[in-house]
Amino acid sequence: MATDPGADVRRRGFHEDSAAILIGVALVALALAIGWSTRPTGDAASRKAFPKGWPNRLSATIDKPQTWSDAPQQALVVVDKKDKTKVKPVSIPILLGMTWVVGILAAGTLLRGRSLAAVLPGACLLALLGGLAYLMAAQKVINYYNLEYPLWALLVGLVIGNTIGVARWLEPALQGEFLIKTGLVVFGAEVLFSRLLELGLPGLLTSWVVTPIVLVVTYLFGVHWLKIPSKSLCMVIAADMSVCGVSAAIATGAACKAKKEELSLAIGLSLLFTVAMMVVMPPFIQWAGIDPIVGGAWLGGTIDATGAVVAAGEMLGKNLDDKRPAEVAATVKMIQNSMIGIIAFAVAVYWAGWVDRDAAGPKTSLVAEAWRRFPKFILGFIGTSIVCSWLFTMSPELALLVDGAINGFTSRLRGWLFCVGFICMGLQTNFRELAPTLASGRPLILYCGGQVLNLVLSLAMASLTFGWLFRQGVTP
Amino acid sequence: MTHPSGILPKIPPGLRLAFATAILAVVWLVVLPSIGRYPAVERHVRLMESRDVNPSAMVYTELEHLPLRPAWIERHLVLWPTGN
Repeated sequence: MATDPGADVRRRGFHEDSAAILIGVALVALALAIGWSTRPTGDAASRKAFPKGWPNRLSATIDKPQTWSDAPQQALVVVDKKDKTKVKPVSIPILLGMTWVVGILAAGTLLRGRSLAAVLPGACLLALLGGLAYLMAAQKVINYYNLEYPLWALLVGLVIGNTIGVARWLEPALQGEFLIKTGLVVFGAEVLFSRLLELGLPGLLTSWVVTPIVLVVTYLFGVHWLKIPSKSLCMVIAADMSVCGVSAAIATGAACKAKKEELSLAIGLSLLFTVAMMVVMPPFIQWAGIDPIVGGAWLGGTIDATGAVVAAGEMLGKNLDDKRPAEVAATVKMIQNSMIGIIAFAVAVYWAGWVDRDAAGPKTSLVAEAWRRFPKFILGFIGTSIVCSWLFTMSPELALLVDGAINGFTSRLRGWLFCVGFICMGLQTNFRELAPTLASGRPLILYCGGQVLNLVLSLAMASLTFGWLFRQGVTP
Repeated sequence: MTHPSGILPKIPPGLRLAFATAILAVVWLVVLPSIGRYPAVERHVRLMESRDVNPSAMVYTELEHLPLRPAWIERHLVLWPTGN
């Protein structure tokens, strides 16, 4: 009987999702362990002394290119904000950031029982391309108008893939899904359920009532009304528009196994509308005479990207000489950020149990069938989120430990993993598959229709909660 | 090579890449810095810099300042306080 030598190797290796969970959890644990072992001795519980958490030594091993205006080499130094003559080079942490990506790809390859030698050259090139995408995103105009790095990572991949194509030696390293799944497990540490009540009931109502309604209605609108053939495209667009842009698109896209082209399209739509809304909404709020706190909550509930929400809040606040809109906007958006885990989990369960279910297949129980199809890495994402949320609520010291690990290491690492993941996606994206759907204009109609609903419901809820029900509590 | 492009079939692949790279280089090294010098854009960038805002933050952890419950919101609105 003939044997397949590859089958033996496959049996020995972990599944992609298991490898992503193992590596992601190990990295979060490493960051927490290093943060704890080097914890400060004095004022260890003071948020004032450590506004972004305890310093984490791993922060010296990872960074990304800084904003630059005229010459790209400006991206390799951090200029002190108070004393512009003081500069700190970041070339080595940037190189080390690339090394983390290569290391994670190598570890994933070994865990999955594949050939390391075949992956390493491609992994190095992908890490360099990730650095290039970050450099493009760091240009000042691009950076300050919220055109985030995934867009440029996709562009870099698309340009190479559609000009010279992908060399055969690069193919084994194209593990975009593995990188994004590992990035999502690491990202779980940032999705802290305990932040959900930061603004109390008004913030919670604005985020939790409106977001799920808009998500579900937009998805149903796309599937049943617009009759877009791909349900996963409808879900990714609905999630990035109603929750919090690119990060929600990545999480739900992985949960519903969306195609690379669909995720790219949803991210492109989201970023373009984000720029427009960031510029247009603050003057509109002022012109319409909407209360600044209600306006801030409205911005937080509707603009997709977190950074753009804060920028719009600051623009509104500057015009009105009021800091409150930016504070409320940022906090409402943070509450939405904290919902990603729950939404990704719900989407994964719905997809595994209902959408992907094969009616003609063997009759098994719904639970068994759903479990078989369930994207297991979501458990790693939810797991790191639950553990870090629990630690965060245990004591002020542990909250600072978690914040330090996130700000000093895991959020930067997650950024690199997503960035290189998107390079891989760009290299493998074939937009011709989406051409018929794109030509129909239906994804654009879906986004616009959902966003109109989001704008109306968010304004109504923000007015009800921040403007009326809890008015006394939110008036200084 | 796999995934060949059908966009510019008659141009050699290396030349296509060089052409695309040149366009990107001109946009990033010439066009965008020029746009950055427009008064309206310059004002926007200066405002964001002066307020320590990172508009390209994907999630709240990438912001320069972590959004925490504003001090002017009454404590009874928050079901439990986080951090000190």
